[in-house]
Amino acid sequence: MKKKKLLSLLLTTCLATTTLVACSDKTSKEPEKTEDGRVVLTGLITKHPLTKDVNKMEWLEEAEKRAGVDIKWEEVSADWDQKKGAMLAGGDIPDIIVGPNAITDADFSKFKGLFEDLTPLIEEHAPNVQKMFDEKSELKVISTQLNGEIYGLPKYQRYWPNTGTRQFINQQWLDNLGLKQPTNWDELYEVLKAFKEEDANGNGDPNDEIPMDFAPVGTGGFGFFQPTVLLGSTGMTIVGGGGQGYFAEDGEVKNFFVDDRYKQVVTFLNKLYKEKLISAEAFTQDYTKYQSVARGEGETATVGYTYGWELTDRFGNELAPQYASIAPLKVDASSTVQPSWTYDYNVLNYGVNMVQMSSKTKNKDAAMKFINELYDPKVSMQVLFGSLGTNIKDNGDDTYTVLPPEDEKMDPGTWKWTSTWADNGPLYISDSLKLTLGTDMQSVGKQTEALQSALDAVDTENDVLPDTFLKYTEEDNNAMSLVNTELMNLAMANFSKWVTKGGIDKEWDAYVEKMNQIGLPGNLEITQKYYDDYKSKME
Amino acid sequence: MPFINSQTNKADNIPIIPLQKKKTIFNTFKRDYQLWLLILPAIVCVIIFNYIPMYGIQLAFREYDFTAGLTGGEWVGLKYFEQFINSHMFIDLLKNTVVLSLTTILIGFPAPIILALLINQIRWKRGKKILQTTVYLPHFISIVVLVGLLNVLLSPNTGILGLLVNKLGFEDLNLLASTKSFVPVYVLSDVWQHVGWNSIIYLAALSSVDPQLYDAAKIDGANRWQIIRNVEIPAIIPTIIILLILNMGHIISTGFEKIFLMQNSLNLPVSEVIETYVYKIGIISNQFSYAAAIGLFNTLINFTLLLLMNYIAKRTSKISLW
Repeated sequence: MKKKKLLSLLLTTCLATTTLVACSDKTSKEPEKTEDGRVVLTGLITKHPLTKDVNKMEWLEEAEKRAGVDIKWEEVSADWDQKKGAMLAGGDIPDIIVGPNAITDADFSKFKGLFEDLTPLIEEHAPNVQKMFDEKSELKVISTQLNGEIYGLPKYQRYWPNTGTRQFINQQWLDNLGLKQPTNWDELYEVLKAFKEEDANGNGDPNDEIPMDFAPVGTGGFGFFQPTVLLGSTGMTIVGGGGQGYFAEDGEVKNFFVDDRYKQVVTFLNKLYKEKLISAEAFTQDYTKYQSVARGEGETATVGYTYGWELTDRFGNELAPQYASIAPLKVDASSTVQPSWTYDYNVLNYGVNMVQMSSKTKNKDAAMKFINELYDPKVSMQVLFGSLGTNIKDNGDDTYTVLPPEDEKMDPGTWKWTSTWADNGPLYISDSLKLTLGTDMQSVGKQTEALQSALDAVDTENDVLPDTFLKYTEEDNNAMSLVNTELMNLAMANFSKWVTKGGIDKEWDAYVEKMNQIGLPGNLEITQKYYDDYKSKME
Repeated sequence: MPFINSQTNKADNIPIIPLQKKKTIFNTFKRDYQLWLLILPAIVCVIIFNYIPMYGIQLAFREYDFTAGLTGGEWVGLKYFEQFINSHMFIDLLKNTVVLSLTTILIGFPAPIILALLINQIRWKRGKKILQTTVYLPHFISIVVLVGLLNVLLSPNTGILGLLVNKLGFEDLNLLASTKSFVPVYVLSDVWQHVGWNSIIYLAALSSVDPQLYDAAKIDGANRWQIIRNVEIPAIIPTIIILLILNMGHIISTGFEKIFLMQNSLNLPVSEVIETYVYKIGIISNQFSYAAAIGLFNTLINFTLLLLMNYIAKRTSKISLW
């Protein structure tokens, strides 16, 4: 009896161990093939949550066929940062990874040997990539690491405007109240006050108007659609909506978090917040809520002044006509400073590390052929806007037109993101392509007009920090990111506090000193070094 | 016949010392092997999942190098610990973590005890069952959903609790966005969620109280309060102490998920705790060694507190884990 028990126990233990062992044994030497002889690869794409199943994208299926591969896609649309860490540390990655900076330069240097150096493969199998590098040499510069190797390939999408953020004001409310579009902070204050106190939307309730709203401010830095654009009023040109505060001025790298002009903006925002002119939930709502509040109810708008990418995207098709895009504001009527704005041309049109290959890929030639397909002029266009036929019309004379959404209720932006990889894909739109854009892109262009003179006045060489293009050594990168984590912790918490509760005047000096103690000067020095380096390379 | 022996011995007042082998781990194996077999799967699990991964601790003392693997990097000694202690965040992180976890224990620990004592007073059986089920249901709400609930309920414009607070005269108080309200919101929602579930163990302890004790107390004229004080509380004190010691073991391991989800730039000064910082440093900025050092630091403090608490309990009440 006892023996029997012991035996069964032993058996169970054995069984458990064998299953554990069995899991880890699945390596085979030969690359897998499909029945029709195509090479089977694994791929991972970080995509927008709206984007449909990539296996249903016709252009992708065709591109795979032409390259002679069949890719099993894994699709990630949330929490990539968390998943990535674990995946890379485990060393088990798919053959191809696609996504905007999904794998960063820091990852390449941290996880040495995990990614394939594409330089020789490009020469051999990727004429499209080669052509792209020849036509736009900066693309080669931004994809080449400090040691001369290329792990990730870039994108260039040409049509995007100089900025990602536009400011919108409800023209109908202005008309209802007999007001003019504000041109400086003082006028903006008066307008917002009127929005607050009167029944601007005319629905009988004077208290349901939110005079001003902006996108949720995170704890790690600023982004698009945030009030940092007001820094432009002081003549400062920020990049990508603010980020971690680094910007360039007359060729010198600075950080606005310790700049007196930033203090000025925060003081102004605090004045607005104190008078309840900024949404009470501006700091706690999430992006979805931010978006849905502005879309209002039926024809009743709820938000007066806010930021966004494009009118229909921000307010929905029904409310969009009520709003107007306005020019950058001056600080006050007497100000002689040339207003600037967040300059995002590089961020929007260029992307680094859009696609990379695992060094363990069994059939690297096939994988490279597929990557090359993505940079084919026709394919790139479809990566960005969707399949020929359904999303793009071929006019037959080498010109193309982006079609309106099949579903009339949908705005063109949403349709694009639904049907293809869009801005998240690796692609190269050559400057010679003749493509008529969709209504959303055309209106983005139109809505940028108000900002155009300010953006044209920007000295792109000396006043725009080419943040996305800079390559750091691993050591510098680690040092900087540690310092930045601590800096943002202090800076973002203080930003929110000063806007909502005030007190910036009293605490400013101690705050600046603390920022310097944490290591801001060191980071500025490092960035300056790389910025100068980059400039000398581009000449 | 030991039975008779003991009786006679009692009568004669001659104590008999039973022959017993000295207790060693080895002969308990032999004597209680069935029990050991029973617990074997658990031991194997603990070894595989809790002890074997501990070799990763050395990462905290090494420079992490991917190509060389977890154990291949260069030794850097206590560099990362020094870096953490000298960090500008250190004092704030430690303070936030301790404040948050101490408050959680101070408020959250007695709550289920009180609830159990109260539930135990209810005579109407059906009502008691309904109440018990109702209070322990929130335990099963996932943290993401719970924080979502908090966001909806406490929103100052649209949330029912948020509106109520504002109507009560605390004007424009956004409970989600204030450094003052973060800790209370965190702790009270935690109590609300787990109080019912945690009270189960005390109810079980209470159910084992000998009915004779109740009867005796009643005959002596004890009222309800006196019964609670003199019969019920002493009965559950061992359970209380053991659970308190166990809780001490993760006193500064605040729940990561909930804090992280509740974090925003306004409550950041009080909501940045060691664990959220480890996440930001380790996962987001890929500083594995630094994050490992901070994590180990956290664990060491917990371990010390556990030992200390166990020692105090042993000295004062003779109840302890070992």
